[in-house]
Amino acid sequence: MGAEVIHIEMPGSGDLLIRAVSPGGIFPRNLGLGAVAPNVNKYHVAIDIRHPKGKRIIQELVSISDVLVENFKPGTFDSWGIGYRDLSKINKKLVYISLSGFGNWGELSDRPSYDAYAQGITGLAEITGFKEAMPLKAQAWIGDFLSGTVGAFLVAVALHYRNKAGEGQFIDLSQSEVLIRVMDWTWLYIHLTGKERERTGNRDYATVPSLITKAKDGFIAIGAFEKREFIGLCKATGIEELSKYEDYTERLKNADRIYELIEEWAREKKIEEIEELAVKYGFMVGRVMNSRDIYHDPHYLSRKSVFFYNDPIYGNLVQPNPLSSLEKTPAIVRWTVRPVGIDNEHVLSRILGYTQSEIEELYKEGVIGK
Amino acid sequence: MDWKTLARELTDPSKSKEKPEALDDLVVIDISYGNFAGLFASSLLSELGAKVIRVEPPEGDIARKMTPYGLEIDGTGLPYIVEGRNKYHITLNIEKEEGKEIFIRLIRKADILIETFPTGKMEKLGLGWDTLKRENGRLIMCSIKTFGERGYYAENEKVPDAIGTDVVDQARSGFAWTVGIPEEYDEFPEHTRVPTRMGNWMAHYAGGAIAAFAIMCSVLYRNITGEGQKIDISPAEALMAMNNYALQCYHLTGRVINRVANFEPAAYAYNYFRTKDGLVFIAGYADPNWKALCTIINRPDLIEKYPTIKDRTNPDNFIPMTREIESVIINYTRKEVVKMWLEYDGPGVTVAGEILKPKETLQFNHWFERGALIRVKDKELGDLILQGVAAKMSKTPPRIKWICRKPGEDNEFFYLTLLNIDKEELKKLEEENII
Repeated sequence: MGAEVIHIEMPGSGDLLIRAVSPGGIFPRNLGLGAVAPNVNKYHVAIDIRHPKGKRIIQELVSISDVLVENFKPGTFDSWGIGYRDLSKINKKLVYISLSGFGNWGELSDRPSYDAYAQGITGLAEITGFKEAMPLKAQAWIGDFLSGTVGAFLVAVALHYRNKAGEGQFIDLSQSEVLIRVMDWTWLYIHLTGKERERTGNRDYATVPSLITKAKDGFIAIGAFEKREFIGLCKATGIEELSKYEDYTERLKNADRIYELIEEWAREKKIEEIEELAVKYGFMVGRVMNSRDIYHDPHYLSRKSVFFYNDPIYGNLVQPNPLSSLEKTPAIVRWTVRPVGIDNEHVLSRILGYTQSEIEELYKEGVIGK
Repeated sequence: MDWKTLARELTDPSKSKEKPEALDDLVVIDISYGNFAGLFASSLLSELGAKVIRVEPPEGDIARKMTPYGLEIDGTGLPYIVEGRNKYHITLNIEKEEGKEIFIRLIRKADILIETFPTGKMEKLGLGWDTLKRENGRLIMCSIKTFGERGYYAENEKVPDAIGTDVVDQARSGFAWTVGIPEEYDEFPEHTRVPTRMGNWMAHYAGGAIAAFAIMCSVLYRNITGEGQKIDISPAEALMAMNNYALQCYHLTGRVINRVANFEPAAYAYNYFRTKDGLVFIAGYADPNWKALCTIINRPDLIEKYPTIKDRTNPDNFIPMTREIESVIINYTRKEVVKMWLEYDGPGVTVAGEILKPKETLQFNHWFERGALIRVKDKELGDLILQGVAAKMSKTPPRIKWICRKPGEDNEFFYLTLLNIDKEELKKLEEENII
C-alpha cells in the first residue's frame, strides 16, 4: 500500500527462522520460499540491536518513523531499553505493535509462539477435518498471516487516531486470540448446548447446503443457501427429494440427507458441467484449485490478484495480491525479500545522514553487516 | 515496574470504557447480505468506535438463518449474534424505488459502504459505484464477493447470480487443496483423505480482515486527498494470500504444494502427533533440536536415520518418521508427553504442547482475563459466552458495547434523527414493506 518499510535483521545470518524455511530444503534462485511470501517492497537493513550503537540507530529511526512492528518474546524489547516505554518518549506519535503468541501479559504469555501451536491450543485444529480421522491444522501459517493482517488494520486505525489526537499508542496482538475471534459460532454453541463442537469434514452444518464434494474429475465446492439459489440447485440437479427442503430450518435439520443427495449427484458430473449449471440456475460454485490452477486462471490473471512483477534481483516473480482492486490506490508488488543488509547504506546514509566513514566504522565494529 | 505489569496497565480491558474510540468520526453502512466477510469487516470497525448501521431487508438478513443445526436465540442464529456487536440495526427494501431513494439519502451521510450482493446486482438496482460516488465524493465503497466485481469471469458472464459462500472461497483460494490428509496416509478412511475445508469460515474471516484493512487505508488516503474510492475484495483472494508460498513455489519450481495432513513441508518436526488421548504439537527441526527430540523418546537410531534437514523435509519421510515417533508416544497421554518434554534439560531446543478441544480451551482463564472471550448477561439474549475483542490497545482500545439487535430495532431512532423522516411517514413506509 506504499508505506516505506525498513525490515531490521541480525547482521550475517539475517532472520534465520524465516530465511532458512523452504519446502524440501530447496532454495530456487537462492530464495527461501518461507521468506518470499511475507516480504514485499521492504528495505533490508542488518543491525545488531543489542549493541549500544545498534540501539542508538533504532532510536534514531524510531524518532522519524510512524510505526514499529516487533514479534519478540514479550518484554524482550523492554529489557533492551527499546520497548514501548522508552520509544514512546522519543516519539510520542509512535504506533508500537507487538505481535506474539499469547499476548504481553496473562498466565499464558510466556508460552512459545508457533503458528501450529496456536492452531492447536485454540481448538481450531480440533474443529477442522473429519470426525473419523483426526484434527487438522491449516498447512499454511494462518495464525501468522491472519494476525498480521488484523495487525495491519489496527495500525491503520491507530494512525487515523494519531492524525486527530497527535499521539501514538501500544498495541498488543496475540495470534491465538485472533484465531479464537474467527472461530465463528464455536464458543456460543458450546456454552449454550454444553456439547463439544464436532468436526464435520467438508459439510457445513450452519449453512446448508455448503460443501466440498467429489466430482467426476476433481473436487468442487457448492453453496446454495438463499432460497432462490436452493431452488436453482434443485432444478439443476433434478433431484425431486431435495425440493422438500426449501425451508431454511428444515434444511439445517435434514442436512445429512441433503448432503448425501448432492454428493451422489456430483460424483457423476464433470466440474465444468456443474459450473455451467451454477451460472444457468444461480447458485455458487468453485472448483478446488491448486497453485497451478490459480497460476493459470484467466480470472485471477485479469484481476492481477495473481500478480507478476520483475524483481530487480531475482527476475520474473509472482505474488498473490488481494488488494489489487482498489480503484485509486491498488497494491503493487515491486520486489520481494532482499539479501541481508543490502539496504544498509540507503537507510543509514540517505535517511539518517551517516557519513561514509561512520558507516565503515559500524561495519568494523559488527554493529551493522550484510 | 516490570514489563508485564506495565503492559497490563496500558491495555487492561476493564478500563476500556474510560478511553476514547479511534473511529468515532466514521459512519459505516453495512448492507452485506448472507456474508460473514462483510459482517466481520464491519465488526472490526465497530469495535473501534465507528458508527455501523446494519441495513437489512425488512425480513432480516439471511445471515441470521445460518446457524449450526438450526439453533437460534430469539430468531437469530449464533454466528450472527457474534457479529451483531455494536451495530445499529435498521431495515430497508432497496428493491423498491422509495427504498432506493432512502438508501441514497443514507449514502450522503456515510463514509463507508460495505456490500456483498451477487456481482453486478448493485448496478442493476441503479445503486452502482458510478451513481453513489456522484452522491458522495468522499464515499469509500467496499464490495466483497467471491469473484469480485470485475475481471474475466464478470466480463464473460461466468459468475453465478448468487451470494458468496465461504466454502467456495476456501476452494478457489487454493487453501482447501493444501489442507487435509494425503492419499498415501492409509491408516485413515478413504473418504477422509481429500482436500478439506477449515472448520470455521476462514475465507470469510480472512476476507473481512483484508476488507477492513483496505477500508482503513482508503480512509487514510481520503484524509489526505478528500477523495473516496471503490474497493473490490474477494475473500478467495484474501485467503490465497495467506496460503504461504504455494503460488511462488509453483512459479519457481513447477511443484504444486499438496495436502500433507499435519506436517509442515518446510520443517520436521513441526507437526502434530497422536498420543493416547489426542494430539500434541512437537517442534524440533534444526539438527541439534531434532537430536533433543530423539533423545527424549530414547530413539537415537532416528538421529542416524534422518540426519539432515533435507532428509527430514523429504515428504516421503513424513509418514514413516511420524509412525516411529508415535510408536513411542502413543502409550502416553498428552499431559504425560508435555511433561517428558519439560523435564528434558539437555542440549537443543524442542517444545511440546497439547492440541485442545474447544471445550478444553475454554478452561483457560487467560482468554477471559484478556477479554478475548467474554461472559455476558444480555437482557434479550440471556447468558452468553462469546468472542470479545482480539486486540489490546493502550489509547483507543476496541470494546463491545452491545451484543446484537433484532432487524429494524433501531429504525425509529435512525430514520427520525438521522434522516428526519417523521413518525407518520415511517409508519407508511412500514406498511408498504419498504422499512
